[in-house]
Amino acid sequence: MNEKNIKKTVLHAQNLTKSYGTRGNVQDVLKGIDLHVDEGEFVGIMGPSGAGKTTLLNVLATIDRPTLGKILIDGDDISRMKDARLSTFRRDKLGFIFQDYNLLDTLTVKENILLPISLGKVKKLEAEKRFIDIADILGITDHANKYPHELSGGQKQRTSAARALINEPSMVFADEPTGALDSKSAAALLKTMEDVNKERGVTIMMVTHDAIASSYCNRVVFLKDGMIYSELYRGDKTRQAFFQEILKVQGVLGGDSVDSI
Amino acid sequence: MTLFDLVFRSMRKNIKHYYLYFFALIFSVTLYFVFATLQHDESVVERSGGSMGAAFSAAGILLLIIAGIFVVYANAIFLKRRSREIGLYQLIGLSKSKVVRMFMLENILLSSGALFIGIGVGILVSRLFLLLLMKLIGFDGYITVTFSTSAVLQTVLVFMVIIAFTSIQMLFTVYRNTLLHLFNADQKGEIPKKPKSILSAILAGLGILLIVFGYWLSGNMMNDLLFFNMLLVLASTILGTYLLFRVTIGWVLYQVRTRKQGHLGLNNSLSIASLMHRMKGNANSLTIITVLSAMTLTMLSGSYSLYYATEQETRYSFPFDFMLDEIRSEELPEDMISLAQFEDALKAEGIAYTKSKLELLGVEGEYKNTNFPAIIGPRDVLWNSYMINAEQLEEAGLDIGIPEADTIIYHEAQLGVFVKDLNLPFQINVTSSEPHRTFEVVKYGEGDVYNFSTGPQLVVNATDFERYKKEMAKENFLELSPEWVVRTVYALNITDPKQLPRASEIYGGKESIYGEDFYSIYENALRESGLLIFIAGFLGLVFLISTGSILYFKQMTEAEQEKQSYKTLRQLGFSEKELLRGIVRKQIFVFGLPLAIGLLHSIFAIKAASFLFLSDITVPTVIAMSAYGIIYLIFAVLSVGYYRKIVSEAL
Repeated sequence: MNEKNIKKTVLHAQNLTKSYGTRGNVQDVLKGIDLHVDEGEFVGIMGPSGAGKTTLLNVLATIDRPTLGKILIDGDDISRMKDARLSTFRRDKLGFIFQDYNLLDTLTVKENILLPISLGKVKKLEAEKRFIDIADILGITDHANKYPHELSGGQKQRTSAARALINEPSMVFADEPTGALDSKSAAALLKTMEDVNKERGVTIMMVTHDAIASSYCNRVVFLKDGMIYSELYRGDKTRQAFFQEILKVQGVLGGDSVDSI
Repeated sequence: MTLFDLVFRSMRKNIKHYYLYFFALIFSVTLYFVFATLQHDESVVERSGGSMGAAFSAAGILLLIIAGIFVVYANAIFLKRRSREIGLYQLIGLSKSKVVRMFMLENILLSSGALFIGIGVGILVSRLFLLLLMKLIGFDGYITVTFSTSAVLQTVLVFMVIIAFTSIQMLFTVYRNTLLHLFNADQKGEIPKKPKSILSAILAGLGILLIVFGYWLSGNMMNDLLFFNMLLVLASTILGTYLLFRVTIGWVLYQVRTRKQGHLGLNNSLSIASLMHRMKGNANSLTIITVLSAMTLTMLSGSYSLYYATEQETRYSFPFDFMLDEIRSEELPEDMISLAQFEDALKAEGIAYTKSKLELLGVEGEYKNTNFPAIIGPRDVLWNSYMINAEQLEEAGLDIGIPEADTIIYHEAQLGVFVKDLNLPFQINVTSSEPHRTFEVVKYGEGDVYNFSTGPQLVVNATDFERYKKEMAKENFLELSPEWVVRTVYALNITDPKQLPRASEIYGGKESIYGEDFYSIYENALRESGLLIFIAGFLGLVFLISTGSILYFKQMTEAEQEKQSYKTLRQLGFSEKELLRGIVRKQIFVFGLPLAIGLLHSIFAIKAASFLFLSDITVPTVIAMSAYGIIYLIFAVLSVGYYRKIVSEAL
C-alpha cells in the first residue's frame, strides 16, 4: 500500500438516517451514522441481525436513499443525485459483490464480467486487457466460456468479484460475500479480496456477520440498533489476534455472533 | 378458512395475470355463440338457401378447435407459473385431492364466468353482427334476430367440454409431478449448449432450404400433380419453419455471439442471450404460431381481396350493366325479355340510361407464335371468338383505346393473372374469309369488352372492322343463321347507379343469350364474398388474439423469471431506460419473427392462389396484412409495458 501520510477520503457519510414506514408507524433503522473511509481501506461492517448493516450498505451504495444526511463518494454528494445520474455513478465508480452471486444465468463468465463496462467508453481492446488481468488474479481464466450453472459456489463468487472490479471502481461493496460458501472457498475468496485490496489499492466495504471474514479487514465497524457501537483497527496485529478481538466485541454485542471456530 | 375462501383469495390475486386470458375466452365464447345463433336463425338460413347455415357451423367448428388449443395451451402456461403454489399447498399439508379440487373450482368459476358473460354479450351483440353481415353482403332490408335456446345450449355444451379438458390437465399436473419438480418448474430455462457445429449448420441450412423450396414450388405447381404439389409445399414449408426455429435461429445467434468473444454488451445480453436460453423450448410454440399466423393471414388477405375486388371482378366479365340482342319480341321464348320491352319498362319508371349499338363479328382463325401458360394449355385455333369495333366500344363508354391498322387489342378476362406470362406481340391469322388476313396482337386489355363472353375478343379499329365485315363470306361463319354473321347487340348503362337495383329487378333475372345482368351477378358474388369475409374476419381475429395472447403470456412468464437479472443489472448501475432498450429488442424478435415469417409464407401462398382472381389484389392484401401487423404490435407494446413494470419494481 502506498505510504502517504494524508490518505484521500473515498467515502464520507454524515449523520445518516434511514426510516421506514408511514407517519403513524415510523421505524428508524439508521439513527445518525458518521463514517469515513479512506482510499485503500478494507472495512468490515458487523453487528447483530436488525442492526442495520444491509440498510447501511444499500444507502452507501446508492441502491437506497437516506432519509436524512449526506454521503460523499469521491467528493460527489450522492444523496442529492437524480436517479439517472445515480445509475451512471454506480456503473462508473462502484462495484458490487452479493451473497448469492447474482450472475446472469444466460451469460458466460466472461460475458458476465464484461457486462458493467459494455455501455461505457471503454474500448474493446482495453476491456479485453482488463478482463485477462482480473481473471488471472481471481483464477477464473479457464472458466471464461462456462455458464454459471457449470461453476462451483466459490468460482461463481470469484466471477462476481471480477465483475465488481472490471470497471476499476473507487469502491467495492460486498454484502455477505462468503455467506453461501463453504469455509475453504470462503477463505480463498477473502484472501483474494485481501490481495486485491493490498496490491491494487481497491477500497472495499464488506458487510458480514462472520468474525473470520471480518478478520481479513483493516478495520471493523460494529453497528447496534442503527448506530455505530465501536470500531476496531487491525493495525499490525496478526489476523488471529484481530479475530480474537472481534470475537470479544461480538460477545458484548450479542446476537447472532457465536460462530464455532 | 374454507376452500371457497382460499379460491376467492387466489383468484383475486391472480386476476392481473388472468385478465387477458379471461378476455380472450369471453371473446371466443361470444363469437361462437353468435355463429351458433346465425346458424340456427331461420331468416338467415332462408335468405341464403341453406348455404349460410352450413358455413356458420363449419366456422363454428374451426373456431372451437382454435379456442380449444388456445385454452389448453394458456392453461398449461398458467399451471407452470403456479406450480410453486401447487407445491406449497401440498407442503403445508393439503392433500393432492384437495389441491385439485381447489384449482378445479377456481377454473370452473373462472370459465363459467367467462361462459356466462360471453353468452350475455353474445345475445346483446348478435343483432349487431347480423347487421354487419347484412351490410357486407349488401342487404338493406330490416332484419331481426330471434333468441335461440339451442344456440345457448350448444355453446354451453362445447365450452363445458373445453373446461373439462383443462380440469383434467390440472389433475395431471398435481398428481403426476413430484414436489421437487413443482418447486423447480417455474425457473426452468434451458442451458444454451454449444451446437454441434457441422450437424447444426447442415440442419440450419436445411431449414432455410426447405422453406425456399416450398416457396419455389408454390410458384411452379400448376401441372398434373397439383394436389401432390400442394401437400409437398405445405410439408416442406412447415418442416422448414420448425427447423428454422429449432436450429437455424439458434445457430445464427450462436455464431453472432461467438464472434463477440465475450464482449456481448447489454442489449445483446438482454435479447440474444435470453432468447438462446429458451429457444429449444419455444421452437414448438413459435412454429405453431407462425404456421397459424400464415394460415390466418392467407385466409384474411384472400377473403378480403375477394370481397374488395368483387365489383371489379364482376365488371371484368360484365362491362355493361345490361346487354341485349336485337331480336323482335315475338321470336323470344317466355323467359326472355326483349330490348323493346325492357326499354319501355325503364322509361315507364323514369330510369335514365344510355344505349349503344355494338356489332360482334364472329371469326375463326389460328394463333401464331404464342406461349400460352401451361395451366391454360397450348392453343392453336381461335375459339368462340368475336372481332369487335373499337370505336363502337368507345361510344358505349369503354375506354380501351383505338388499335392501329392491322393490329389487335386482345381481351380475354378468363386468362386472369396468367396474362402476364404471355409474350407480345403474337399473331392471329383470321381465316373466316379469303384471303386470310394476319393481325398483330400488340396489347392485352383488361377484362372482357362485352357481357358474358366465352372466348377471346379481338378489338380492331373501325376501318379494319368494316373491311373485314365486307370481305367475310357468310357461309364461313360458325353454325348460326346468316343474319347472325354480324351479331348486333345493344349495351345499356344506367345513368344513376342508385337505380341499378330497380333496373335489375325489371330485367327480372331473365336471361338473354348473354346471361344475366351485371347487377344480379354482382349481388350474388357480393353475398358470397361478404359471408366469407365476415367469417374469415372474425375467425382471423380469434386466431390473432389467441396467438398474440400466447406470446404475451410467455413473455409475462419470462419477465418474471428474469426479474432477478433485472434487479442485479440495476444494482450494477444500468438504468431502466437502458434495460428497456434491450428488452424491446427482444420483443422485436419474439413478436416480429413469427409475424415476419408468417407474412412471408402468406405472401407466397396468396401469390400461388392469385390465379383465382381476375384482378390485381395487391392493395387489399397489403391492407389485410398491415391490419394484422398492427394488432401484433399492440401485443408487443403490452408485453413491453409488462416488462417495464417488472424492471421498475425490480430495485
